[in-house]
Amino acid sequence: MSEVHAHDDSRARFSLRVWQPIVTRALSNHRAVAALLIAGIIVAGIETALPLLVGRIVDEARKGSDAELLPVLILYASVFIGFAAGVWIFIAAAGIVATRTADRLRCDCFAKLQELEPAYFDVRPTGWLVSRLTSDCSKVSGMMPWCMLDFSWCTAIVLGVTVTMFVTNARLALWALCAVPVMTLLSVVFQRFMIRAGREARRLASAMTAAYGEMLLGARTTKTLAREEANLSEFQGLSREMNFWSLRGAVLSSVYVPLISMLAASAGAVLLWRGAGDVLAGEGVTLGTLIAFMQFAALFAQPVQELSQRFADILNASSAAERIASLLATEPAIADRPDVKAPRELARIEELRFDAVDFWYRPDVPVLQQFSLRATRGQTIALVGSTGGGKTTIVSLATRFYEPRAGRITIDGVDLRDLPLSWFTEQIGIVPQVAHLFAGTVRENIRYGRLDASDEEIERAAQRVKAHGFITALEKQYETEVGEGGERLSTGQRQLVALARAVLRDPQILVMDEATSSIDTATERLVQAGVEEVLRGRIAFVVAHRLSTIRSADAILVIEAGRIAEQGTHKELLARRGRYWELYTNQFAADRERALLHLKDAATQQTVASLVGESQDDE
Amino acid sequence: MSEPEDRSNSNKPADAQKPKSPPTPTTLHGLRAVWRFADGERRAFAAAVVALFFAAGCLYLVPLVPQSIFDTMFGETAKASALSRRIVEALGGLDTLRDRLWLPALVMILLTALSGVAIHLKTRFAAGAAERIARRMRDRMYDHVQRLPCDTLDEIPSGDLLQRCTSDIETLRTFLNSQAPEICRALLMMLVPLPLMAALDWRMALASVVCVPVMLLFTAVSFHRMGPDFGKKETAEARMTAKVQENLTGIRTVRAFGRAAFENARFAESSAAYRESDALLFRHYARFWSTSDLLCFTQMVIVVSLGAVLVARGSLETGAYFYFLTVVSLFIWPVRMLGRMVVESGKALAAVARLDEILAKKEERDLDPPATERVELPATERGLALRFDRVSFAYRGGPTVLDGLSFELAAGQTLGLVGPSGAGKTTIVQLLLRFHEPTAGSITVDGHPLARVDRASMRRLTGTVLQQPFLYSKKLRDNIVAGMNAVTTEDAVVAATQSACIHESIVAFPERYETVVGEKGLTLSGGQRQRVAIARALVRAPRLLILDDALSAVDMHTESSILGALSAARTAQTRIIISHRLSAVMDADLILVLDEGRLLQRGTHAELIAVDGLYRTLWEIQHLAERDLTETLEEVDV
Repeated sequence: MSEVHAHDDSRARFSLRVWQPIVTRALSNHRAVAALLIAGIIVAGIETALPLLVGRIVDEARKGSDAELLPVLILYASVFIGFAAGVWIFIAAAGIVATRTADRLRCDCFAKLQELEPAYFDVRPTGWLVSRLTSDCSKVSGMMPWCMLDFSWCTAIVLGVTVTMFVTNARLALWALCAVPVMTLLSVVFQRFMIRAGREARRLASAMTAAYGEMLLGARTTKTLAREEANLSEFQGLSREMNFWSLRGAVLSSVYVPLISMLAASAGAVLLWRGAGDVLAGEGVTLGTLIAFMQFAALFAQPVQELSQRFADILNASSAAERIASLLATEPAIADRPDVKAPRELARIEELRFDAVDFWYRPDVPVLQQFSLRATRGQTIALVGSTGGGKTTIVSLATRFYEPRAGRITIDGVDLRDLPLSWFTEQIGIVPQVAHLFAGTVRENIRYGRLDASDEEIERAAQRVKAHGFITALEKQYETEVGEGGERLSTGQRQLVALARAVLRDPQILVMDEATSSIDTATERLVQAGVEEVLRGRIAFVVAHRLSTIRSADAILVIEAGRIAEQGTHKELLARRGRYWELYTNQFAADRERALLHLKDAATQQTVASLVGESQDDE
Repeated sequence: MSEPEDRSNSNKPADAQKPKSPPTPTTLHGLRAVWRFADGERRAFAAAVVALFFAAGCLYLVPLVPQSIFDTMFGETAKASALSRRIVEALGGLDTLRDRLWLPALVMILLTALSGVAIHLKTRFAAGAAERIARRMRDRMYDHVQRLPCDTLDEIPSGDLLQRCTSDIETLRTFLNSQAPEICRALLMMLVPLPLMAALDWRMALASVVCVPVMLLFTAVSFHRMGPDFGKKETAEARMTAKVQENLTGIRTVRAFGRAAFENARFAESSAAYRESDALLFRHYARFWSTSDLLCFTQMVIVVSLGAVLVARGSLETGAYFYFLTVVSLFIWPVRMLGRMVVESGKALAAVARLDEILAKKEERDLDPPATERVELPATERGLALRFDRVSFAYRGGPTVLDGLSFELAAGQTLGLVGPSGAGKTTIVQLLLRFHEPTAGSITVDGHPLARVDRASMRRLTGTVLQQPFLYSKKLRDNIVAGMNAVTTEDAVVAATQSACIHESIVAFPERYETVVGEKGLTLSGGQRQRVAIARALVRAPRLLILDDALSAVDMHTESSILGALSAARTAQTRIIISHRLSAVMDADLILVLDEGRLLQRGTHAELIAVDGLYRTLWEIQHLAERDLTETLEEVDV
């Protein structure tokens, strides 16, 4: 949890370790990286050569001979073509490195998330995880090529210029370099303050976005409380602070940048002072050389500024890098033991058992204690009881979404943890409370149950759960796009598609969390017929909310506080007039009330029409 | 050559540029809006331009110093330009200078320093003003949007509003803070040296700017052309994000069906599509930057070659030549960016114009009658007396939601509202709170027409619990006293939470009343949220208490405790209770049974169960359940 809530930039410490997975992926684009580094060196080389060329041109021009001037000018012009080519290469290569690294990182993170157990997602909001895969991956990958380029460019230019100057004239070279240590020192000092200001500004920007979001979400509540003024003054606190930090950042950089330029210019001035005498005295220093040195001196401001900027970038992105590294390093808590063996092919599962199982989500709140249960093939077990009693936990354990903290769950005597996860997953089918459909066609959504199913099998599955009727009534039948999350279908239709998907899979163990959401009676009757079809001939657990399901179950378990409070068939339990009696009465009243009060919902009315039409077709 | 600076710029647009949805407002609107937003800060911007001018001037004077020295000292003094000779004389004459070469060096440093100070001042002025405007705009948008009438808030998707409040203001800030000053800088950098260059040598001056128009045009056209590809990248990114979102929302389904490999393959496709759209932009950049580098260099080559030839012919002094070399490399790079800045500013201004659109919408208080005609309801203990007289309501262009409803509720009475969803129960509450205005009929409160009652006083005296209560991301205590002007005592808070049956749960939290709720804190269950919201309404000791299906997520036992506490309170408060459970309304003085905006039945519980109708049907469900059970049991016995 702390990972989610820790402020994005609260800890900007520099750690190479967190960058390792990113750098490794970036470097794997060998050719692009090589092109990038070489282009950096070429560009730096040309930049070093240019002042020399200009110096040569000045000297030749002063001699006044066109003949000697021309080749130098041609060389000068052609060097630029090389320069432009270098620029083209490094941007193109940077594009390859940045986009491929981001792609690799995203896919690897995505694949890792598919492996992780459901508990991982319980404490991390979806939106938070989405930004890890989108903005974090783009941010860290986008920096990679520029850091590499600057590494080669800066090294090459610093080395190239320094060596050239010392070879040409060591005394002037020393004067040209006099400002560099001061520049470096200034950069280090200023960057520290600028990074701080930038971090605060980003923190405040996200706090302000949250405040705007809250203002919009709670607009009506704010109106009922008439608390507009209090809201505004709280917000003004944020915007005042934002104003302070962003201005501070701007002012800092408005001091830093001119200071660096001034230092570079000072180096030029110092050269004029020390060098002009040499030129006059004719001590082997030509005017061209002096001009070249003055340009070299100016050149040094750039690598210094550039490197300090990259350093700031790396620090700013290090929390993003850390989050990515930690996601990639997470080991799934539910995974195959090294020695798992798949049972004999087509093994028929006869029995599923809970054996003195303890479970908790948080150690101080036990959910199941010493829970035991036996379910055999062909049996439908309905779990009923009040919210928080542990019904959903039981089915999550039976499907190995979670594992018992103590005790064991076995199928035909073998502990679930000794079976391969992939094999076990093939044996189970789950119909969740809220049917989750994926953007795509109805057919694709049903096929999700068994990827190699033929179109015919898909339609047969839909017929079995009575979904075929409504599907063929859709505009494009099985090819109808269901929209994001299935939004273009009604709740009832989505449930039918989810049922068809589970039937197509034909699992040996089926777990169903019945929907509590209100659907009208006509839809309910249809869904019910589908449900019965799905449950037949398997080991089935149903977290039951509908009376019809409860009544037809082979065994009903009343779960209260993590234990089986009552157990038996519908009639046996009613005769006992205990907890089940109470639950049933409430449920009955709630069902009827719902039927009376919600039937007129515009949305469901439409569904009723389409479904009623369908059921008539069937008869 | 400032290549690295440009290079670092070249990767920025990849993430900085966010093309917005089709911009209906034009750049011109935006420009006008910016002019208005800048009210009070225009002088600061003018000062920034002056500072920029000064900075550019100093910057271009710097190379004049070595140029004069070169020409007078190393060339034939007589041939040096008048400007150079004057500069040398000003520095103390050639002879003195030979011994004091540190003096021109010092002048160069001083000039650079002056230019630096001017640049610093420009940022102080421009950034200071830009930040102040941004801050004012943030506050203004916040306040404006929270005061918009519900109709307006319903019309505009909240994602859209959020984007305007955040990224559009940021765009405005960037425009004022960097794009506008950069455009000025580029223009000044280009214009300021012209007279100096012309004074030195007009042929060279002309040669120095010959490529500038080509470059401006090339940049503007290139960035304009890239526009659609930026859009494509945005779309691909949005698609990929939707894929991730969908996968993570359905991660349990993915696991249940063991579809990790399938999902990976599908994600890889959309990730690759995004990669390609991004890579396309990089290819654009590679082409743009290398070509524009070539253009810049062509300019350089022209100056260098022409200058060299002229120097060789003896018609240009080396110093002047040096000056042109330096100056061209000073202005060519900002000029290269000018075309791009102009294209981007155009987009930015369109975004700014959209802020103006929102600000033009009327706030609730703009719709009120003038203060002299408004009635302020007094904060007494007496309940509010309410009267609805043939009140109808329909959303603009929508079906009738409430159809000629009339009823009267005396001070201190309780009204129960019952009916299927869509019956118009919530609409009654919304009209009372002035979220919407009735399309026909009139509502009176304590004898005053509601339209003339001060909105804030009506809301302040009402304690409302909405269907889906919203809690602020604050401490529980602050949530409960939110909306209270005076200091609320601890006792009052606890009394309210006890009546709302939430005190026990709160003190069980490790941080009790200091527990932060919401996104960054504890997630409360629906029932807990409802009860906190009830406490928040009760602590106000309102003259009117509204519970709009406020007990739907609490269990029956808690519901009856809360209702018991309410009736035990024996205040003179008027109450409106909307509920699906009849138990919550059966003690009301008046019960209205509504359906599709019409009144089906009215009366007390006793009256309503005596007659046939929806109310009695609902009431009898309880008995039906018992009958069903008895039948089942009889079957067992048989």
